Amino acid sequence: MDPALLNPSVVAPPAWLGLGAMAVLLGEVFLSRSGRGGPGGPGSGQDVSELRLGTTLAGLALAALVLALYTAGASFVAGVHAPFNPMRPMLQMDPLSSAAMVIVATGAALAVMLSITYLPVLRINHGEYYALVLLSTAGMLVMVCSVDLLSLFMGLELMSIPVYVLAGFDRRKLRSNEAGMKYFLIGAFATALLLYGMALLYGATGHTDFAGIREGFDPESGLAMSGLGLVVAGLAFKISAVPFHQWSPDVYEGAPTSVTAFMSVAVKSAAVVILVRFVALALPESTGALEEAFWWLAALTMVVGNVMAVIQTNVKRLLAYSSIAHAGYLLVGFATGTEAARAAILFYLLAYTFMNLGAFGIVVALARGGREHEKIDDFAGLARVRPVLAGLMTLFVLGLAGIPGTVGFIGKFQLFSAAVAGGLVELAIVGVLASVVSVYYYLRLPVAMYMRDPLDDTAAEASTSEVVVLTLCAVAVLALGLWPNTPTLPLLDWAQAASSAIP
Amino acid sequence: MESWLQGSILTWVTFLPLATAFGLLGSTLLALFLKTKPLSPTVWKAVALAGTLLTFLLSVFGVWARFDPEQSGFQLLERVPWMAEWGINYFVGVDGISLVLVMLTTFLMPVVIVASWNDIGRSRRTYVFFMLFLETGMLGAFTALNLFQFYVFWEVMLIPMYFVIGIWGGPRRVYAAVKFFLFTMVGSLLMLVAMLVLYWANFEQGGALNFDLIDAGAAQGVAILDTVLPVESGEGTPWWATQFWLFAAFAVAFGVKVPVFPLHTWLPDAHVEAPTAGSVVLAGVLLKMGTYGFVRFALPLFPVAAVTFVPLMFGLALVGIVYGSLVAMIQKDVKKLVAYSSVAHLGFVMLGLFALNLQGVTGSVLQMVNHGLTTGALFILVGFIYERRHTRDIADFGGIARPMPVYAALFGIVTMASIGLPSLNGFVGEILILLGTFQADRWVAVVATSGVVLAAAYMLWLYRRVMFGPVVHPENRGLIDLDWRERLVVVVMILPMIWIGVQPGPVLRRIEPSVAVVLDHMAQRGAALPGRAVDPEPGPDEPVETARWTPDVEGAP
Repeated sequence: MDPALLNPSVVAPPAWLGLGAMAVLLGEVFLSRSGRGGPGGPGSGQDVSELRLGTTLAGLALAALVLALYTAGASFVAGVHAPFNPMRPMLQMDPLSSAAMVIVATGAALAVMLSITYLPVLRINHGEYYALVLLSTAGMLVMVCSVDLLSLFMGLELMSIPVYVLAGFDRRKLRSNEAGMKYFLIGAFATALLLYGMALLYGATGHTDFAGIREGFDPESGLAMSGLGLVVAGLAFKISAVPFHQWSPDVYEGAPTSVTAFMSVAVKSAAVVILVRFVALALPESTGALEEAFWWLAALTMVVGNVMAVIQTNVKRLLAYSSIAHAGYLLVGFATGTEAARAAILFYLLAYTFMNLGAFGIVVALARGGREHEKIDDFAGLARVRPVLAGLMTLFVLGLAGIPGTVGFIGKFQLFSAAVAGGLVELAIVGVLASVVSVYYYLRLPVAMYMRDPLDDTAAEASTSEVVVLTLCAVAVLALGLWPNTPTLPLLDWAQAASSAIP
Repeated sequence: MESWLQGSILTWVTFLPLATAFGLLGSTLLALFLKTKPLSPTVWKAVALAGTLLTFLLSVFGVWARFDPEQSGFQLLERVPWMAEWGINYFVGVDGISLVLVMLTTFLMPVVIVASWNDIGRSRRTYVFFMLFLETGMLGAFTALNLFQFYVFWEVMLIPMYFVIGIWGGPRRVYAAVKFFLFTMVGSLLMLVAMLVLYWANFEQGGALNFDLIDAGAAQGVAILDTVLPVESGEGTPWWATQFWLFAAFAVAFGVKVPVFPLHTWLPDAHVEAPTAGSVVLAGVLLKMGTYGFVRFALPLFPVAAVTFVPLMFGLALVGIVYGSLVAMIQKDVKKLVAYSSVAHLGFVMLGLFALNLQGVTGSVLQMVNHGLTTGALFILVGFIYERRHTRDIADFGGIARPMPVYAALFGIVTMASIGLPSLNGFVGEILILLGTFQADRWVAVVATSGVVLAAAYMLWLYRRVMFGPVVHPENRGLIDLDWRERLVVVVMILPMIWIGVQPGPVLRRIEPSVAVVLDHMAQRGAALPGRAVDPEPGPDEPVETARWTPDVEGAP
């Protein structure tokens, strides 16, 4: 194939993951035969081979991460060109793509590591799980470097369809089935919106690539504006912004926790990044209406997400609403729309990845014997039974609440600072008041863990892989909260570079 | 002392408690790892006591002794880039105002640890850890000369206090802890937005991102305290960029902590539920965070707005004094009474601050220290009787002086200090505040003086009901008087009360020049303060007189 058309440095990361998925599926066929007749029966996790499989896959994901990190240093722009339009690239590798790839791959790798001992607990230890995660991640990697609506759509579908399956992966549980079905239906609806929007944009501008759309975009045209609105709405479903959020609490609650962790960080990050890219590249400098729309989306999302979280009694549901609220904080960055705000969004995604994965990681680590400890009541007295887990959970929720000293504060500070610099003080006030509400529900976990007596003392030991994930997240939350920009790990500069790479 | 210690004395003082805490935590993790027995809680307490005592000694010999009272600006400066690209530096230093509060903090902590030696029944190691953590948080906030750094410490301090109330508190501890946290958060986050507005206004004037309060020579741009902020909104100046609203946001944040009258409702809950040590630190130091915030940030940053707010603040302070005193009078619970007396006392402090003259503000700063000592001692004394009787109801006592004469005597001295008996510390602070207020507005001073009378009334009435009369309840007959540890604690607290009462000079001499700088700075920035030079048209183009904030330019007079 002509190397000008297919640049391996762009295609390698997703292709690598796709190959990994294939390898997993093949390996599943050969390896799991030995274990199927074992004492626990299919999927019980009794056989060692599947555990090994999981570990291999975590390694694979990490390898992809390393690859992405390798490309992150480069600032070159390369592309995969559509055969019928050699002048316009469909995929583009630039600092923004590589930054997004690092974020997404980090989330995916950590989520995979959380799954290794969690799946056997739920008796759903099938290799397909890992293949689906890898495929979905490959879709994200395609999506985040798209500069064309077609490749965007392809990446989005490749990302979404495996996640629909993953959400319903615990097929013996009704809740998980419901989650999968609901996510699929809503997802299909969102996809339809997106596709329709793309069609309208193509009709209005005559182009599917971002640069072409930008040239042909006329803010006065109703066709173009409705296309834009539909595309934004379609992506808003993926990042669960209010009013497109109703699916997320049910899906987050029903899906296996490791999948929830994966969805809440990786899927959301990928969708946010492509929205950043779309808004920056495909639209003219200022479309006042869009910023206005983002203003309201942000305000609504922050308020509704935080207020609804207050009444939850299930930790996964609570984190689902908190994840909606965090989408709201990210939307503040969109409403601001400056370069600094984009950098803030990227940094916040990374921060959020560590905090949220940490919090879900604790829920994963507490699940034992086929039963999940996911009610707030299940956390009662945890500090006495498992002080280290309780301490880590406290750290993660304090991070999510944005208490100084954690990376959550640096992220929020940067976002709101950009908003204030852009004159959106009212939105910043709405945001901080909403985060006061968030403090209330986040504190319910430390209250349960430290200020109540344990109901039972059978809480589980965390497994090695979980300990690794949790330690990594905790170190990241603290270290990046205190030193976000060290010479060895200049994450702020890095986000800044990724943000300024696109106009 | 070694020079490496001298060069960064404030960092040592601030972080020694935290280092102690992490050392202890590390020892436990190590024991877990080596499968040996972790250190016993008693060892933890002993190490914590040693750590806080060392912190106190360092602050006496390294900070207080080396502080030059002749200089008005910040001293013992240290500045290390932190997130330099955002103008965030680790920047510490003390002036007279923060100096006395640092001393108060380092003094109170070892006392509190000894006072609560047998008080905490469970999770004692965690408790020690949080107390040490808390001390670093408070010291960090008092010494911070970078607004961002201040905010970090100001918020971080909440976490250990929240746990101290919530884990070791009374029956309604969770409610009290969460209320405490949320009230403070509302104010803090609004302040954060105001800080950001200030930050970007500062950027426009200086052309560089900067969070340093004063110009340290190395920083680019304009120091935060020299930022000129618009008074009126109008063309190019939205409502939120005016001094009025920025002051309001800061005032809510600090007002919650003080607490100023309508924002005070968390305080009685927190005090009643908190364990003794929590109450002492809360009343002794944490409330001062609010008043300190006013004098350090809100007044010099937004001088014109501060003057506009004087009538409102006077009003709220008076309500706080009178209402706090009256509510204190009818309390049945001793601890709640002391808690409400705090509202009244802090009302005096606010009054002095907003008198905006040398006597008033100096008296206020002194009164912050006084209140920390006397109310801290009162809470400790209440804690001692609670440990013996497990009740704090005034009705359950009476005639305590008979079985516990030493207790009654010490309680009497502290009561006298609290109501402002001359030759004890409370008198000096109150008289200065009233002098200052009288100059500002004589009728306000007249009403405020009634607070002094009311304070005497509720405290003496409390004393009579608890200590004197026949021993009504047979349980009280066998009460054991204070042991040597408890006597030591209270006597150690009383010594500085007498010292400040008899010889306030050394303290006032350090506070006063720094207060003068604040007031001069306000006057230069356009605040109409009687007796201070008013700069007619402050603007960014004029040469900014920052000399007085920085000691190296100032020199000895």
